[in-house]
Amino acid sequence: MLELSSPLARILFAALAAAIGAYLLFPVAWLVATSLKPDPEIFVKFPSLLPQHPTLDNFARALKASGLGGYLRNSLVTATGSALLTTTLAALAAFGFAKYRFRGRQPLMLLLIAAQMFPFAVLLITLYPMLKAVGLLNTLTGLTLSYIVFALPSGIYILFTFFVQIPDELIESARMDGAGEVTILRRIVLPLALPGLIAVAVYSFMWAWNDLFYSLTIIASKDLRTVGPGLMLEFFGEMQQDWGAAMAASFLASAPVVLLFAFLQRYFIQGLTAGAVKG
Amino acid sequence: MAALAIGQPRGAAYLGAQQRFGFLLTVPALVAYGVLILYPFLNSARLAFYRSTLMAPEPVFRGLENFEQLFGDPDFLLSWLRTLVFVGATTALTVALGLGWAIVLNQGFRGARVLRSLSLLPWVMPSAVTALLWAWLLHGQYGILNAALLTLGVLDQPIAWLATGAWAMAAVVLAKTWLSTALVMTFFLASLQTLSSEQVEAARLDGAADRHVIRYIVLPHVRNTLLVVLVLQAMGNLQQIDVIYAMTGGGPVRATSVLSIEVYKTAFQNWNLGRASAIGVLWFLTIAIPAGIYLRTLFRE
Repeated sequence: MLELSSPLARILFAALAAAIGAYLLFPVAWLVATSLKPDPEIFVKFPSLLPQHPTLDNFARALKASGLGGYLRNSLVTATGSALLTTTLAALAAFGFAKYRFRGRQPLMLLLIAAQMFPFAVLLITLYPMLKAVGLLNTLTGLTLSYIVFALPSGIYILFTFFVQIPDELIESARMDGAGEVTILRRIVLPLALPGLIAVAVYSFMWAWNDLFYSLTIIASKDLRTVGPGLMLEFFGEMQQDWGAAMAASFLASAPVVLLFAFLQRYFIQGLTAGAVKG
Repeated sequence: MAALAIGQPRGAAYLGAQQRFGFLLTVPALVAYGVLILYPFLNSARLAFYRSTLMAPEPVFRGLENFEQLFGDPDFLLSWLRTLVFVGATTALTVALGLGWAIVLNQGFRGARVLRSLSLLPWVMPSAVTALLWAWLLHGQYGILNAALLTLGVLDQPIAWLATGAWAMAAVVLAKTWLSTALVMTFFLASLQTLSSEQVEAARLDGAADRHVIRYIVLPHVRNTLLVVLVLQAMGNLQQIDVIYAMTGGGPVRATSVLSIEVYKTAFQNWNLGRASAIGVLWFLTIAIPAGIYLRTLFRE
């Protein structure tokens, strides 16, 4: 787009590009590099950029000592559960809002979307005793349900923008052919909105996977801990200085969401920019 | 008659049934919303007017007592101020860098796509990882930032970034900005890609320099995106707790203790639910300002 006629402009632009690029990319590279270094290369005042003697010891330590495997499993369960739940609820509601003209739909939708501004920590003040009252405190089910809070409002909005684009004539003509509402939803609408469904599923999966403090508050037992609190409680602290294992554990904790993102990026970005998601 | 009715344009009863079906579709989400979001929010707001502590958990109505105490507490007022500093700095930096990065990637050089994907990694990774990683980059003894600055001669002595008040605030701003910049870039890039190249070329033919193209064509074009992104980022940063809490726990002393952390600690460490809710109400009112602007723009479209 820019032509950058003068050499000075070119240099300034390249410097700006390199600076932002380095800021965004170097930390990730440093995470990987540190995770592959043996301790003597980590705990030096002037570390080398690349590992001189790469090793997988850090990964072995991260998995063995910290119970990371269990945390990963618990995160997988809660994130998958909340992604399925959120996507189902959001898809039904968004379709209702987008394609049916019932009374009160606008105020209801406004109310749903307004939830984005309710502070999450404030909700927790009431959610906590609620979960306790029904015996769901310190359970993965309780945590999974709580995660709906994060992604449901944005999920409905994202899918709304997808459903609105489906032409009414398509639905009308299916009705003419005698298709019921459920058939229309299943056969016509959902397949067309598939990219949106994937975007919402990935988005809510990531919210749940990346969460720290809901899990920190709701889950007390170590064997139910998810990756966020797991990483924080195992690797942060005065006594904890095993940065090699910390970076290896960080790598392993990021891998599932990074892979998911890598494969579904296309849908995901489409959904994000369609739905103006916060982050 | 009955046979004819199938597949025929519908009477009022049929339309009514259809609309009921539409409403029914929204019911599960509305129920989940009511139970898990709306009720907790309203109930917490109500608790702000009650005294409810660990010693006396049964809520007792106290009117504005919690608010009066908060406004008389310099620590609380400071944490409000710190929140504004954090949100203002992070939002401004994120949006500026996000726009800059989008303009860079929009140049269409080889490898731009790969760079775009790679730069989204910080946003994809868990917040606990962000916190750990930045704590490691900024480590007082073995951190790479100290090593780099010492090598370049900028520093004589390593700095314990996270243990020094002002630097700790700068550190959490940097970490949160790092996490969100590429997301902001995505929005701007989507907007830039709809910019017509004819318009740019016409301006070029009229002899417009790059800075004029940016100022008079690119910036006006992304204006709406800019507004949406500013508001969403401000809202998100006001909500931010994970990265800050893991990196500094609100410290050193209270240097990075923003409102979200105040609510969390007051509620779940001191178990003073009334006071925590009162902070939450003031916090919500702070969020409501950018949020109101956002919703208005959203619904105008």
